[in-house]
Amino acid sequence: MAYLPCGVYHEKYSQDQAFWQTNFIRGKMVLLAVFSLLVIPIFLTDYLSEFILLIYWAMGALGVQLLIGFCGQLTLGHAAFLAVGAYSSFLLMTLPWPMFMHQIGAVYPLVLIISAIIAGLWCVLFGLPSARVKGFYLILTTMAAQFITVDFFIAKYVSQIGGRQQDLTLSSDLVKIGPWTIDSKVDIYLFGVILLVISMAVVANLVRSKTGRAWIAIRDNDIAGEAMGINIIGYKLYAFFVSGFIGGLTGAFWGASRNIISVEDFLFGKSLWLVGIILIGGVGSLHGVVFGSLFMVFLIWALQEIVGMIGGTGNIIYFKEIAFGLAICGFLLFEPNGLAYRWWQSKNYFNLWPFSY
Amino acid sequence: MVEQNEHDKKSGDILLELEDIYMYFGKVCALNGISMKVRKGEIHSVIGPNGAGKTVMMNIINGIYRPQKGSIYYKGERINKLKPHKRARLGLSRTFQKIELFGGMTVLDNIRLGRHLHLKSGIISGSIYIGKTQREEIEARRFIEEEIIDLLEIESIRKKTVHMLPYGLQKRVELGRALALEPELIILDEPLAGLNLEEVEDMARFILDINEEKRWKVTCILVEHDMGVVMDLSDRVFVLNFGNMIMDGAPKDVQANPDVVKAYLGEEDLYSTRR
Ligand SMILES: Nc1ncnc2c1ncn2[C@@H]1O[C@H](COP(=O)(O)OP(=O)(O)O)[C@@H](O)[C@H]1O
Ligand SMILES: [Mg+2]
Repeated sequence: MAYLPCGVYHEKYSQDQAFWQTNFIRGKMVLLAVFSLLVIPIFLTDYLSEFILLIYWAMGALGVQLLIGFCGQLTLGHAAFLAVGAYSSFLLMTLPWPMFMHQIGAVYPLVLIISAIIAGLWCVLFGLPSARVKGFYLILTTMAAQFITVDFFIAKYVSQIGGRQQDLTLSSDLVKIGPWTIDSKVDIYLFGVILLVISMAVVANLVRSKTGRAWIAIRDNDIAGEAMGINIIGYKLYAFFVSGFIGGLTGAFWGASRNIISVEDFLFGKSLWLVGIILIGGVGSLHGVVFGSLFMVFLIWALQEIVGMIGGTGNIIYFKEIAFGLAICGFLLFEPNGLAYRWWQSKNYFNLWPFSY
Repeated sequence: MVEQNEHDKKSGDILLELEDIYMYFGKVCALNGISMKVRKGEIHSVIGPNGAGKTVMMNIINGIYRPQKGSIYYKGERINKLKPHKRARLGLSRTFQKIELFGGMTVLDNIRLGRHLHLKSGIISGSIYIGKTQREEIEARRFIEEEIIDLLEIESIRKKTVHMLPYGLQKRVELGRALALEPELIILDEPLAGLNLEEVEDMARFILDINEEKRWKVTCILVEHDMGVVMDLSDRVFVLNFGNMIMDGAPKDVQANPDVVKAYLGEEDLYSTRR
């Protein structure tokens, strides 16, 4: 909240600390809501898959942003927590829940929350080494989380549950919140919007209160933070929990959107992509999470169009990786602060326009 | 047991006590059996040439280092095993010789971090924000504006990012952050180093203010090189020379002590050979 639109003054601390400080900004938020809740689901239905993907990436990257961008804990294994959330939600749905709970649509919300908590605790487990190690060594332990969870635990044991040799499935009529059955693409999209908005709001609120400030203090200067009374280890573990929790929600959402999950969805590459998104969007910025995901979804979409246009049968998968890798290198070289910084710069420019210096 | 009782008796008066502290880094002996008593309400200065071990001593009081031998008592309680954040909870705050601010944050946010222990809202009410957390944040803001920013005269920079500020102001912000904790004991590690004359006067005034004003009444441990200021402000002066205590007494006794003069002359030599 450091930069007010030019010419805005406050008389009360509560005004000064509010999120949306002018009618103009409030108006923009209303427009955004109208766009995402009405325009997209009604007029842009051809692109719903892309928007669902956007939400998925943004939620996944949000958890990574919390750990890396706000708390300074490098992680390269976040897909593991997505996997835990997805698999937990699928397995918990197969429990013999009482019929009436299915009828009133209480099962799925409950399962969603429990899965997220499991993923959060799983993340705390692998965050424990952060009490002792930093930087490079922490990257190694989070990579261990990736391989132990997905390549070993889930691939070898969890996905064999019930004697199945292949992927777990979830019937979409079970995905029901109260009276709302989430089975069409529009439903999935709206469900995703709700999850994303809530997760974003939670992280944004934490960042402007005690907990988030403690995280940023740990990132910037843990010795000074501890001298001010911050329990460093405790707050690191909080960060791992919230990050894993959001990761769990992300995974469960992914599962609900496809009704089928497999180990392939949560491999190491995905963890890398999530980190790539925040590098492109901007480390330590909530806008950056959305910008980075937008960039990525657009990139993939554009590649598909191009490949379709030239009628190539070539494998898009490799193109994707190469293009994304190049994009990350490009950003690190030319715009290390990410798209969010660009956004902020141009906003500032227009706030002062036409007297821009 | 007898010793314990003795501590209880003293604790009415003595806020912090170091007892026979030894601190080694490998074979380097940074503190060699140091003892010191800080009484409630006083300004107790620690002086000594560069490399004498003053900062090490402060880090031991604050808990960043653990001494190999010796005891630290705070209000009669042995706190050797407490981590720095637990000691902050007891009312111990500090500034650092090499400024340790959160560079990317605003002045306000830095001071807000000093308020950490006074904020009670946890992760759940924090994530909802509206209600408890909001009320608490506004209250914290009011405290910071009225008690800290006002006292330190930093109204104009409250929204500036810290690493863009000049050095003197950064020192001031660091003092503000340490004060936001509302400490009983504050460690000031070279608060005047690198300041110009005017800034030194301001800072000295702030130190006196927080020590004497009824609102604060903070006990100060002041590490400083500026002899004029030290002799003016201090109730007692502790002289350290390469890990050894030379003396601990009233300013006028310290000035009259030939050993102290020698230690400081030694420092002049050090300076001249180094540069
Ligand atoms: N972390 C450390 N590791 C090794 N030696 C240290 C460390 N901290 C301080 N020392 C040594 O302890 C001695 C005292 O240093 P210090 O307390 O910083 O001096 P000053 O009195 O100038 O503050 C110096 O010789 C320094 O090299
Ligand atoms: Mg020092």
